[in-house]
Order: sequence, then C-alpha cells, then structure tokens
Amino acid sequence: MGQFGELTLGGISFGMIYAAIGLALVLIWRATRILNYAQGGMAMLTTYIALTVISHTGSYWAGFAVALAAGLVLGAVIERVVIRPVENKPPLNAVIVTIGLLIFLEGLAGIIYGGQFRSFPAAFSITGLRHGSLGISSNDVFVAGAVLAAALVLAVVFRYTSAGLRLRASAFNAQVARLLGVRVGRMLTLGWALAGLIGALAGVLVSPSTFLFPDSMDSIFVLGFTAAVIGGLDSPAGAVAGGLILGVVLNYVGGYLGADLVPLFGLAALTVVLMVRPSGLFAATRTRQV
Amino acid sequence: MTLLRHLAVAVIVGVVIVILSVRLNAFRDYQIAEVACYVVAVAGLTVLVGLSGQLSIGNGAFMAIGAYAAALMTIHLGWPPEAVLVASAAIAALGGAVVGVAAARLHGPYLAGATLMLAVALPSIATKYSGVFGGDQGLSVSLTVPGFLGPSFPLTRWQAWLTCAAALITLVLLANLARSRVGRGWRAVRDDEVAAERSGLNVARLRILAFVVSAACAGLGGALLAVTTSIVSPGAFTLTLSIALLTGAVLGGLGSLAGAVWGSLVLVFVPTYITDVAASHGLSSSTGSNIPVAAYGVVLIVVMLVFPDGIQGALRRLFKPMTPDAGILRGAPRRRASASEHQEEGST
Amino acid sequence: MSEPAAALAVEEIVAGYGGVLALQGVSISVRPATITAVLGANGAGKTTLLRTISGFVRPRGGRVMVDGRDLTGRRPEDMARGGVAHVPEGQGVIAELTVEENLRLGALWRRGRAVRADALAEAYQRFPVLAGARRRPAATLSGGERQMLVIGRALMSRPRVLLLDEPSLGLAPRIVTQVMRLTARLRDDAGLTVLLVEQNARSALGIADKGIVLNLGQVVAAADAAELAADVGLRKHYLGF
Repeated sequence: MGQFGELTLGGISFGMIYAAIGLALVLIWRATRILNYAQGGMAMLTTYIALTVISHTGSYWAGFAVALAAGLVLGAVIERVVIRPVENKPPLNAVIVTIGLLIFLEGLAGIIYGGQFRSFPAAFSITGLRHGSLGISSNDVFVAGAVLAAALVLAVVFRYTSAGLRLRASAFNAQVARLLGVRVGRMLTLGWALAGLIGALAGVLVSPSTFLFPDSMDSIFVLGFTAAVIGGLDSPAGAVAGGLILGVVLNYVGGYLGADLVPLFGLAALTVVLMVRPSGLFAATRTRQV
Repeated sequence: MTLLRHLAVAVIVGVVIVILSVRLNAFRDYQIAEVACYVVAVAGLTVLVGLSGQLSIGNGAFMAIGAYAAALMTIHLGWPPEAVLVASAAIAALGGAVVGVAAARLHGPYLAGATLMLAVALPSIATKYSGVFGGDQGLSVSLTVPGFLGPSFPLTRWQAWLTCAAALITLVLLANLARSRVGRGWRAVRDDEVAAERSGLNVARLRILAFVVSAACAGLGGALLAVTTSIVSPGAFTLTLSIALLTGAVLGGLGSLAGAVWGSLVLVFVPTYITDVAASHGLSSSTGSNIPVAAYGVVLIVVMLVFPDGIQGALRRLFKPMTPDAGILRGAPRRRASASEHQEEGST
Repeated sequence: MSEPAAALAVEEIVAGYGGVLALQGVSISVRPATITAVLGANGAGKTTLLRTISGFVRPRGGRVMVDGRDLTGRRPEDMARGGVAHVPEGQGVIAELTVEENLRLGALWRRGRAVRADALAEAYQRFPVLAGARRRPAATLSGGERQMLVIGRALMSRPRVLLLDEPSLGLAPRIVTQVMRLTARLRDDAGLTVLLVEQNARSALGIADKGIVLNLGQVVAAADAAELAADVGLRKHYLGF
C-alpha cells in the first residue's frame, strides 16, 4: 500500500473526527442558530472524565460509555442553564457566552486536572496511528466506524422517530411547532444533549493522537468548524463530507509538504471557503419581512 | 462643542494621572501604563463590536502586528517613540483593512470564526520566520526617557505618561468619531443592516472602516505594550489575549469608551490579585494561573446573562444624571424570532 | 355577554407590543359548533387577538377561557394541548417536511399510537388531495393545497376551537370559496367551533354565524352575521364593502 493510500486512509480517520465536531455544530446551529464555540471544550472535559473512570476501573469501555453519557448530560445542562437565556437575544450575546463557556471549561480543566499533557488510551491497536506508517490500524477503522455509526443513528432518529420529527420541526419553524403542541424548549435541550454526545465521542476518539490537555481540542474545534462551513452550516451530511475532504487533504499536506504547514493550510482552507461561500447563505436569513 | 468637552475631560484626567504617577511607586506607574495600553486596544474593540456590531476574537493579532512593527522600527530604524507609535498603528490599520475587506460580507459565527483563525495563526508566523521576528524569545525594545525631563526622571513614570497620553488622545478621537456621521452609520448598520443599505449607507465601507479603526487602536496598544514591557514575543499574543480584550470590552460595557477603561482596569488588576490570593492559599501555580482563565469565562457568561450592558451600563442605571458620558449611544438590541421563550410581548 | 356553554370565551383582553396596545378590552364569546368571524381593517388587532388566545402574546389584562377552563397566559404549546388550534397567517406550513410529517406533527402530543393513526386516516379521508401528496415535501403544494394541509394538521389534535387567521390570503377566489365551504362543512358535519379572522369580510360573513368587528383594538359591533351583512352603513365604514 503506497504512501498515497495510507495518507488517504489516515486522513479519513482524522476526517471523521472533524466530521463529528462539524456534525455537532450543525446540530446546534440548525436548532438554535447559535455556533457553539465551546463544543471542543465540552469534548475535552468529557474526555478527562473518561480518563478518570479508566484510571479508576481499568476499563476503557467503561470510560467510553461514561464519556458519552457525560456528553449528553453536559450538553443538556449547558443549554438549560447558560444558553436558554440568550436564545432570544442578539446573536452576539450567544457568541460571547459560548466563548466564555469555552475558556471557563479550559480553566476548570486546568484547575482540576492540571495543564500537563496526558496520554489517553485508544480502543484498539494503534500501531500506525500516525501518517507515514505501514497500512491502516484497527483503531483507525474503529474511529471511522464509530463516527459513521453515530451519524447514521442520528440520521435514523431524525428521520424516522417522533422525537426526530419534533426536533426537525423545532429547528425549521419553532413558532409553528409550538402551535402544534411541541415542547420546543425540551427539543432544544435534547439537541444540545445530542451534540454533547457526538462531541464526547470525537474527544475520546482523537485524544490518543493529540494527547489530552486543557487546550487540546482547540485545533480540532477549528477544523470541525471548517468542515461544517465547507458543507454548509445547515447540512449534517455536508459536515460529514466536509470533514472527510478536509481530513484527507490535510493529511496529504502533512505527508507530502510537512507537518508544520498543516495549520496554515487549514487557515487557508477556511479563508477560501468563507470567501467563496455566497453571501446568499446568510442573505436568506436576513431578508426582511415587510 | 463636543470636541471641546471631550478635550476638557481628557485634560482633567491627564492632570490627575500626572499627579498620581508622581505620588505612586514605580510598580504602580507600570500598572497604570499597562492599563493605558489595554484601554487603547479595548476601546477599539468595543467600538468594533458594540458600535458596528462586528464580532472579532482576533484583535490580539493586530496588537501583535503593532507590537512587532514598533519593535522592528525601534531596533532597525531608531525612530523616536512618537513616530514609532503612529507608524505601528498605521501598519496595524493596514492589516485591519485587509481583514475588513476579506470579512466584509461575513456575519455572526462566520466572522467570529474567521477572526478566531487569525488570532490562532498569526503568532505562528513569528515562530516560522524567527530570523526576522526573534522566534519564541522575541525581540527586546528599549525606551529612553527624553532629555528635557531631566536625568533622574523614572522610566516607569515616563512610560505611564506616554501611554496615558496616547490613551487619552485615542479616546478623544474615538469619542468624536462615535458622535460623528460615521458613528451613526455604524450604529445603523449594527441595528439593521438591510435598512441601512436601503437608506443609502455604504455598508461595506462602514464595516471595513470599523475594522481599520479597531485594528489601528489594537496596533497602537500593542506598540505601547512593547515599549512598556520592553519585549515582544509570540507568547504574549495568543488567543487568550484576544479573548481577554473581548472580556474587557464586554465587562466594561460594549460600545462604551468609559467601559473600556473599567474593563482594562479589571484586566490588569484582577488576574494578579486572584493569582496572589491563590498563591497565598498554597494552591499550585498551575491552579493559580488557571483560575483567572476560568474567571474570564465566568465573567463573560455572567455579564452577558445578568447585566449585558456591563459596568458602564450598571453605573448608568445607578447614577442616571451623573454618569461619565463618553458620548456613545447604544441602540436597542435586535430581537430574533423566538425559538423557546414565551414572549412577553410578541414580535412583529 | 358570556354564556356558560361557550367553547371559547375571551374577557376584557388587553394586549400589545412594546408601548402600543393592540387590544384594549376585547370580549368575545364563541358557542360550540359555530363560526364567529372577526372582521376589521388592517391593524385593528385581529391577528393580535388570535395570537393572544393561542398564547404567543401574554395578555396584560383579561382572561382566556376554553370550555370554562381558565387558560390565560399559558404558553402556545400548552394552549395547543388545551384544545386551541391556531392556523396562523401565512398558513405556517413547515416546508422542509413532507405532507404526512406536517400532519403527524399535529397529533404528536396525543397519547396512543392508535389514536394518532386514526387521526391521520381521518385527515386523509377528509382531504383526499393530501392523501395523494403524502410523501411530497410540503413546499411543493399549491396555495389551496397548503391551506388544506394546515387545516387538516390543526384538526389532527381534535381541537376544541380552531383559530383561522386570514385563510383567504394569497389564494385565488375560486380556492377561497373552496376553503370557506370546507370550513362551513367542518362546522356542520363535525361540530367544529371556529374563530375566523378575515380581511375578506364578505366571504367570511357568508359562512359565519356571528360577526365581530374590531377597530383600533376594541369591539365596535357584535351581532349575528346576517345582521352585520345587512347593515350597509357598518359594512361601508369598517369592512369596505
């Protein structure tokens, strides 16, 4: 298997992580028109919680499960306590609140766990986790598979269940949904809980590669945001596609051009996408009702 | 008339500062200088965010541009500090123009995301081209007291005077700008961009101008910081700085110049206070250094939730007729279509 | 003049937006299985009235009673579960969902899969055109079909009272007639109680039992529909025909 093939497969693995974060962002964006800058911070915290569980019980899967559960709870609590009051205010308020939340979470993690880099175990064999290796590792397969499974489960939930119908209705037209008896507030909490869940998944999947420290999810968040933007903030499928493309391309850059160019390339990618994206994307939400 | 009033206030404040700087010790003078540096940068940001409605979490990058420009000019060109300061502000303003043009059509999360990328990516340029920029160690900048003040004039006092003079000039200029047609245009764009466009305002130009102004202020603040701390390094201009600026602006009261002052005071005095308290309680240094970070976050959240108008807003409510009026008018916040709230009074 | 048997009773409602009071003491009583038309010029407060009843606007004074129960100040989702179905101005079709999803949404809060399935079957029976389009995105429906959809959707919850806001807006006259006939049939066959807000006073009075005229937030006339239609002076002054 040539370097190209390995880079591609490794890129897919990372790409799925970006896709997961992107998916979480899209979920929240569609439901509340808020971009959750704290998404990475939430994922970081749940991963620390997982690490604590793992070191106490010795079981990876216990930590994995707890992380996902913590993600659900954290997302729900955050929406109810911190986000609900700013859902109807100018968008600026929500941005500042989520940024505040992000740095609070990072500070909190620093206080509780300290700033040193910690290693986080991978679910399966990690030989070959970094690029330039021979073949693809079982962990890579697990990562891609887990995110894919999560995305599919979400898609099924949204499309085929009553809760999913309520979630979609609340996101598309909250006022009409309320007129039909949908408890939109609860749906928003559920949306944030699901986003917290996916974020937590991304956190435990990527931390073996990046090590765990309070700021470790910052760059992942930025790339996840880029993935969501590439796909269009309103499209979950777009976030997944965007994540895959981004992951693969960035892996090529790292493999062929050098690792230190990856952040700059990410910046360039985001810039290009933001330039090219027609302002029509936002013009739609800004048309005035006369 | 407004200009005279602003100048009068500035002069009075200037005299007070001079007196304080003489009575206080060198460290306090240094802190006064620090506050002044932040006031300049925060004021620019509060104008950008509060008046023109554009959120930037990347103004730390403009501070970095100003700081490095100042350092390089001092080292390689040997210009006097006044010239260096103005030139640094101009260079940062140029950067602001570039970013402003690129971001002219971005709103909300897209804009914030783009500026976030800027804040994250720019410092790495200093490390990449370490030959010019001094890499991680950075560059050192020296400031000398001008001859006419006498040989025994303390450096810190001169730093305080220089920075505060720059801050006062900046505040006066911003106050006038805010009251001018440009300021009104900014507020119109902030409140309803579509309506502003329809009523003939050049929205793109106004938005770019706001970026230029805020970048110039940030650049000036960075340059001032360079001559105050005597060193510029990438570590001083991380994303944390950009967020700290935003915290200062929000805490003080978005759109308020007086708020920029309150916010800067908090930014300089509170973290060291907290760290000192933490150290005196025997907390480890990593805990101690993370408490201000967590505190920033809590402040941002609480202020936005509880008193979104910040300190200045609270003061204004408490002392209605007597508030220091920096001349900034704040428009009513726009309402979004309610997603979850039971509306008190409907929406049109 | 409130009767104990009123399906919907609104008493001395005061409501508004910001500093403006759109409703200044409005009282209306709607008997079961009747259509009451609410008429008046633009800005008279008609839509605000419906929005207050359905819970979007919290009244500053007065009461909203459904079947004798005081539901004043409840949130929209609770009003809906309390038996108030509001079809808003502009129809409120959720365009991104399919026809069937829109319909199902109306009954989601009701307990029991059989109950919900029956409601859906009944909707398709009543509106065969919707049955034919069940899997299509609601965005692809014509104006008249959309109106059917939102009425059908509102009926899915087996409401005590149906609030119809300007159903004729944007529809061709032929379709308007269809919609009006449909509404009348619902009253006659299914005993539905309707509060109908309409600019098109003529067609509204054609099917209504009672008529209420609002002007500047106050009731200026309340009488049997036939009487109102016959009162030429009133018609000309407030209703434009």
